[in-house]
Amino acid sequence: MYFEADLKGQKYKVDVIENRSSWKISIQKESDAWIHYEISKKDYQKTESYFSFLFKGVSYMIDVVGQDTEYTVFTRNSFQTVKIFNDEMLLHESLKRGGGMGGDRELKSGMPGKIIEIFAKEGDVVKANKPLLIMEAMKMENEMRAASDVKIKEICVKQGDSVESGQILIKFEDPA
Amino acid sequence: MTMPKRAMFKKVLIANRGEIAIRVTRACRELGIKTVAVFSEADRESLHVFLADEAYNIGPAPSKESYLNVNKIVEVCKTAGVDAVHPGYGFLSENVNFAKALKAAGITFIGPTPENIEAMGDKLSAKALMKKAGVPTVPGSDGSVESLEDCQAVVKKIGYPVIIKASAGGGGKGMRVVRAESELESAFRACQSEGLNYFADKTVYVEKFVTDPKHIEIQVFGDTHGNVVHLFERECSVQRRHQKLIEESPSPSVPPEVRLKMGDAAVRAGKQISYIGAGTIEFIFDNSTKEFYFMEMNTRLQVEHPITEIVCGVDLVKEQINVALGNPLTFKQSDIKQKGHAIEVRVCAEDPVTYKPSPGLIRACRHPQGPFVRVDSYAYPGYEVPIYYDPMIAKVITWGETRTEAIDRMQRALTEFILSGIKSNIVLHRSILKHPKFIDGSYTTQFLEKNFEVIEPELFKEVDDQVFLIAAAITAYNDRKSKDVRQLNIFSNWKKAGRRMQLRMQ
Repeated sequence: MYFEADLKGQKYKVDVIENRSSWKISIQKESDAWIHYEISKKDYQKTESYFSFLFKGVSYMIDVVGQDTEYTVFTRNSFQTVKIFNDEMLLHESLKRGGGMGGDRELKSGMPGKIIEIFAKEGDVVKANKPLLIMEAMKMENEMRAASDVKIKEICVKQGDSVESGQILIKFEDPA
Repeated sequence: MTMPKRAMFKKVLIANRGEIAIRVTRACRELGIKTVAVFSEADRESLHVFLADEAYNIGPAPSKESYLNVNKIVEVCKTAGVDAVHPGYGFLSENVNFAKALKAAGITFIGPTPENIEAMGDKLSAKALMKKAGVPTVPGSDGSVESLEDCQAVVKKIGYPVIIKASAGGGGKGMRVVRAESELESAFRACQSEGLNYFADKTVYVEKFVTDPKHIEIQVFGDTHGNVVHLFERECSVQRRHQKLIEESPSPSVPPEVRLKMGDAAVRAGKQISYIGAGTIEFIFDNSTKEFYFMEMNTRLQVEHPITEIVCGVDLVKEQINVALGNPLTFKQSDIKQKGHAIEVRVCAEDPVTYKPSPGLIRACRHPQGPFVRVDSYAYPGYEVPIYYDPMIAKVITWGETRTEAIDRMQRALTEFILSGIKSNIVLHRSILKHPKFIDGSYTTQFLEKNFEVIEPELFKEVDDQVFLIAAAITAYNDRKSKDVRQLNIFSNWKKAGRRMQLRMQ
């Protein structure tokens, strides 16, 4: 199965072939040469709640969280999110991208929490680095500021709301 | 511990959650005391509930409606028929009304007297008391500042940088360092608002901010017979936004003669208020002059108490219970010696690069083991870390004959810690522990801000990028494959029919 992947902003092509007792995996980073691995299924084994992976003689306990096109891989207390698409998904993603008119941006919550205070209202023009709202999560108040000069198109939450990770808080449009 | 002289408590309620609730449960169980846990609606599946003998729901998830609900907790105390309450740290541990309500109900509060808490809970009156006891203090407002104008006047006198603190604050909440006039107003308002929101008191004060400071604290213990003893120091200078991350004992920066002076000052402080139980005198320590100033006293058990337990060989929670029974301390000052070196790291559910909290489902969890490693944790696989409380989920403590051995052992222990599903700061700890300024002991409370840069590729360099890619690709492959199989066998009856036809024809 052929995939295109994105890790830390770098593009990879990945091909996965499953055999009875091994995985054949080929990886190409950007325009480098393809690297081919044959990984015995004995070296990539599911244990109780994680995978034990022996790779180039190094032992990793691995857990993979996610679905569809985004997987976060945890090992050795490091973690990376890998975006990964196969042909069908690539097509789907490109359609979604084509649909946007551009200019629209949004502020999302990076974590679950509660909205303590909102400083801006719809129609306001907010300068870069000026506060938009205060969100409380795990006992800390976090001030969220504008990344660039923006005009507030819509405020999707109100004071006191509990919000989920990734929820859209404010929608912007370009000022002027 | 020798046999207590008074009849032991039969049942103790632990008015807390997380690792500290478990820590107290352990001491009680060793002493043959039954334990009662309390939990909020968000904590039904929290480990402290499973480990106690009894457990009661005390209300909705927000702390204000559960772990800070004095009336509800006192009511549970009566229902469960407990003779004492251990408050842990945070929540109601330094709440005078709680201590008084228990006293009125005839239940022992395992902690200091309401008068002790009152004397030290207000940081301004505490400072005045310490001056009286001959304990050195930092220049500042020596009283609350009511308005921004008052605050500006004090700052003009003592000069920048200054720190503004909510009188009732603690644990990094309600504090702001101000380095320039332009930041003063917003910091002043923020402290007032955090004081009001978290501690129901908007009184703030301002004082000189020591520029190259270390945070060094002395553990003290008092009993009802007038004895006050210290158990030496803990250095807690690895801090971020006033939240401690790594603590060690002894401090690598305190010379032996200063150590004795600090111990004496802490004992004087305790005696000044006839302190009962476990307490901590926090000092700002100037690393260039080796001068120290009283900062505040915490009238409770501290998060970092285990490093003192290990270096001094005393179970502080059992000693708290002993003193609460009215017995004299089981040790004298001359019995307390520091042996070897202990380090504690606080493992938090947070992103090690951005420091943002990362609550959520813990998928895999395996704690470090092996010689001279202690883990106080409430994490387990399948547990969902709630958003409502502190992000600290575990403490790892190691002991070594020398400081170097303790550090090496901590590095080893942390490589054994497996935690997935949520992000944790374990890699950040490993990176701090090998930083030259940590290794040589010269780090100050500004270490993380000034000397330490979080570089993501550095933190994660132990793992080959190919490992992440291969694992993600195999998982993506397996997910796609199982979907295809389902489509083939279940959804496409045409395909099925077609295959059957072919079979018949052959």
